Amino acid sequence: MNKRSLIGEFTKGLIEENATFKAAIGLCPTLAVTTSLVNGFWMGVAVVFVLTFSNVFVSILRKVTPDQIRIPVFVILIATPVVIVELVMRAYLPAMYQILGIFVSLIVVNCIVIARAEAFAYKNSPLRAAFDGLGVGAGFMIDLMLIGAVREFLGTGTLTVGSMVLPSKPLFEPMSVMLTPPGGFITLGVLMAVLNIAFQRAAAKRAKTVS
Amino acid sequence: MVKAKRGSGGVSVPDKKELSGRMPIEDAGIPAELTLFLSQHTGAPSKPLVNVGDDVKRGQKIAEAQGAVSACLHAPTSGKVKAIEPRYQPVLGREVDAIVLTPDGENTLYEGIAPVGDDLEAISQEKIREVVREAGLVGLGGAAFPTAVKLTPPPGKTIDTYLLNGVECEPYLTADQKLMEESAADVVFGFRALMKGAGVKKGIICIEDNKPDAIKAMEEAAKPYPELEIAVLSHRYPRGGEKQLIEVVLGREVPPPPGLPLDVGVIVSNVGTAYALAMALKTGLPLVERIVSVTGEGVARPVNLRALIGTPVSYLIEKAGGFSSTPGKVVLGGPMMGVSVRDTDVSIVKGTSGVLVLPAEAVKTEPVLPCIRCGRCVEACPMRLLPVWMAAYAENGYMDDAEKMRVMDCCECGACSYVCPSRRPLTQSIRLAKAHIAAKRRAAAKK
Amino acid sequence: MADKLLITSSPHIRAAKTVRSIMLDVVIALVPASVAAVVFFGVKAFGVLAASTISAVLAEYLYEKAVKRPVTVGDLSAVVTGLLLGLTLPPAVPLYVPVVGSAFAIVVAKQVFGGLGTNFVNPALAGRAFVLAAWPLHVTSAWLNPLTMDAATGATPLHAFKGGQAAGSLVDLLIGNRLGSLGETSAIAILLGGAYLLMRGVIDYRIPVAYLGTLGLGVFIFGKPGALFQGDPLRGILLGGAMLGAFFMATDYVTSPVTPKGRTYMGIGAGLITLLIRYWGDYPEGVTYAILLMNLATPLIDKFVVPRYYGYAHDVAARRKANRAGGELS
Repeated sequence: MNKRSLIGEFTKGLIEENATFKAAIGLCPTLAVTTSLVNGFWMGVAVVFVLTFSNVFVSILRKVTPDQIRIPVFVILIATPVVIVELVMRAYLPAMYQILGIFVSLIVVNCIVIARAEAFAYKNSPLRAAFDGLGVGAGFMIDLMLIGAVREFLGTGTLTVGSMVLPSKPLFEPMSVMLTPPGGFITLGVLMAVLNIAFQRAAAKRAKTVS
Repeated sequence: MVKAKRGSGGVSVPDKKELSGRMPIEDAGIPAELTLFLSQHTGAPSKPLVNVGDDVKRGQKIAEAQGAVSACLHAPTSGKVKAIEPRYQPVLGREVDAIVLTPDGENTLYEGIAPVGDDLEAISQEKIREVVREAGLVGLGGAAFPTAVKLTPPPGKTIDTYLLNGVECEPYLTADQKLMEESAADVVFGFRALMKGAGVKKGIICIEDNKPDAIKAMEEAAKPYPELEIAVLSHRYPRGGEKQLIEVVLGREVPPPPGLPLDVGVIVSNVGTAYALAMALKTGLPLVERIVSVTGEGVARPVNLRALIGTPVSYLIEKAGGFSSTPGKVVLGGPMMGVSVRDTDVSIVKGTSGVLVLPAEAVKTEPVLPCIRCGRCVEACPMRLLPVWMAAYAENGYMDDAEKMRVMDCCECGACSYVCPSRRPLTQSIRLAKAHIAAKRRAAAKK
Repeated sequence: MADKLLITSSPHIRAAKTVRSIMLDVVIALVPASVAAVVFFGVKAFGVLAASTISAVLAEYLYEKAVKRPVTVGDLSAVVTGLLLGLTLPPAVPLYVPVVGSAFAIVVAKQVFGGLGTNFVNPALAGRAFVLAAWPLHVTSAWLNPLTMDAATGATPLHAFKGGQAAGSLVDLLIGNRLGSLGETSAIAILLGGAYLLMRGVIDYRIPVAYLGTLGLGVFIFGKPGALFQGDPLRGILLGGAMLGAFFMATDYVTSPVTPKGRTYMGIGAGLITLLIRYWGDYPEGVTYAILLMNLATPLIDKFVVPRYYGYAHDVAARRKANRAGGELS
């Protein structure tokens, strides 16, 4: 197993081990909360925080965690930052907390967090685990924002970023289906196909120029 | 007159009988060389009785049957044995040993040839069976199964009906049609002899409705015999296959392989076989010649020829006026089940009922499109199988799944491929699966 | 002497029907319904049909070019999909609806799954389902009055019928003098097309007969609210998209079973589901989803409906065993 640099541990979460489009894990919140760009953003922020936090602590305690009960231990270690995120959100972003609702609490059982804990943090140093969490989390956040942006734009005709609404009036009749679960699946599928084709063609081109 | 029941499956194919249907049977004459394969029948190859350099006469036995399921071979004309060597057998698709004859043109008859008689009452069942065996008679419908074996069913199997197959459901071919039109009395005589040889009381002559003259002739010839009936079938392919024929005429279904028609009390023989027996009894001549339809849009003068077994295809095509345009395919047999040959140097075998020349434009390969699951192949299959899935399994290597779909029951009639709008090679894929499974079973049997 | 003779496996002749000729037959069969649509609903109808057909063909062409596959527009299946989708839409629908719908139908419901022969649902219906969900208001209310071609408001005859009210004279329903989508109004035009397809051997009679028969029977039994066996089966079949669906959508080869018996089951199932949705569901129209659901059920039907293979007539036990063994499809 080749040792990546710390920066490498970060960047791999963006494309190579992208949670949504490559590994296709943690799709429940992906489909549920991506009805707008900002929703995706804040959910992403929450996951980045939880993922990094839990990765670090799982890694710190990895030598003393018995193998047979490691999953319950992970859950405890993940639940802690989730509760922190919940309380902070409730205090400072109450509207967003209302929208994201139960999916913030469900980060506890989010596949991505448990998967990184099990596959990486349990076997690597805390520093590495931290970068891994940051990277995969950042990748996930970008995924959520991408899907959210597409669904919001097609589903409402505009994109809301903070107080800006672009364009001010929809250019076309919005397709309300995009805000519904079918729209979520279709967007996910199309983006997964398009991005993977793009990644493959880029990798092939890189291989050709290298050889 | 038996009214035929409606069988399942099948396709409606163009008739094309008018190309050679009006031509009376002509004598093909004697070619420069005859190739007589030792393996041109179902069963073990025959063993040569002559050596290179020997002189033979017309009707002389030149190879002996080997074992229970086999047939003997006779010289079609007088001449010298030029060689006994492997030659490419077009139906088997590989080289088999053959006796190559150089005719001397005299056509001298073998001294041992003598008529047996033309009064069936005077000829015993044993004698008929002996004549059938000694004349090297095989099923002239194409499968070339040794008729002597067919006439002696195993103990415990009673046969109640003998069907005479004058259906000739393949397009273009008119050999059987002409035989019935011109020699109906002999065909009926031969049929009655077959019936006596097998010990069967009831006989049904089956003819397709696109041969009105043949039907009339056979009705006339069969009138004096109350045990014979005529069944007229509507034109549909593949009614002429024995399994389909039995289903349509008698409503019975032959059990799957190793089931045979005798398991449902029926024997089926081709009109050509009946005629050959008639000739063997009346003149003593064994099976040395047969009627071959040389037809198709690719020959200048489609014709029905009385040809010697072993005649090269090129010779027959010349007799039919040669190619009328650039030939695309030369097929031995009919267009649905015949074998396309690589060149016209091959020779005809006992089961060759036709030489079909299709012009180049007619056989242009069309692109194969994906299966659109239209279900036409399912409707067309006379064995009521599912070609769409069998072919898909075969093409992807799932031979065991194909076996579970009863692919071994497939009679390879080609109706499914014929009707496929995507031009998928269904029959070919199914044949692939069958070959695989047969090889697997052979390997398992060896252990 | 011939220098190169072609050698192939038998058979050496082929029937005249090709995929293209079959698709052409379907297009021809849709001409009466298309003409009726333009006659009753004018230029707007022509616009919708043209937009959906052109968009379908263009979508297929562009997609195949983008993924570097051979262009199959020549087999006319995209034309059929586009035309069918257009016929399911109301006349006054904005043109981007058929354009997006056709593109979705071709790219997502057909090409992405492997192109012709491997779509898992009827592409035209999938496109309609998508635009129905995307712009529900347009697709369910952009009606025009027939012949006068002015905007119409109010419920369609189907809606009224469901509620137990009168729903137009039979003559009007047959010719097409009523509110509705482009293709569903003129029953005679659809029947003409359907008869053409049956005559040409393109479709199996079992699907439309089973579908419409089941639907008619169901409407007869349950049609009148509050009473049983007093429904109007004829109107039940003529109203809504059942005729168009039964003859042109449910009969799509790829998404219907390959065996005759299986097709009957599909027709019955589609009829039952249409009935269910119309009378116990919220939607006024159930044809789209009924056919889509039966499309999904087709592989299951194909797995379990196996013909009685030749040769097993005499031994019932052996026949059952063979059918069970032969029914295994991966």
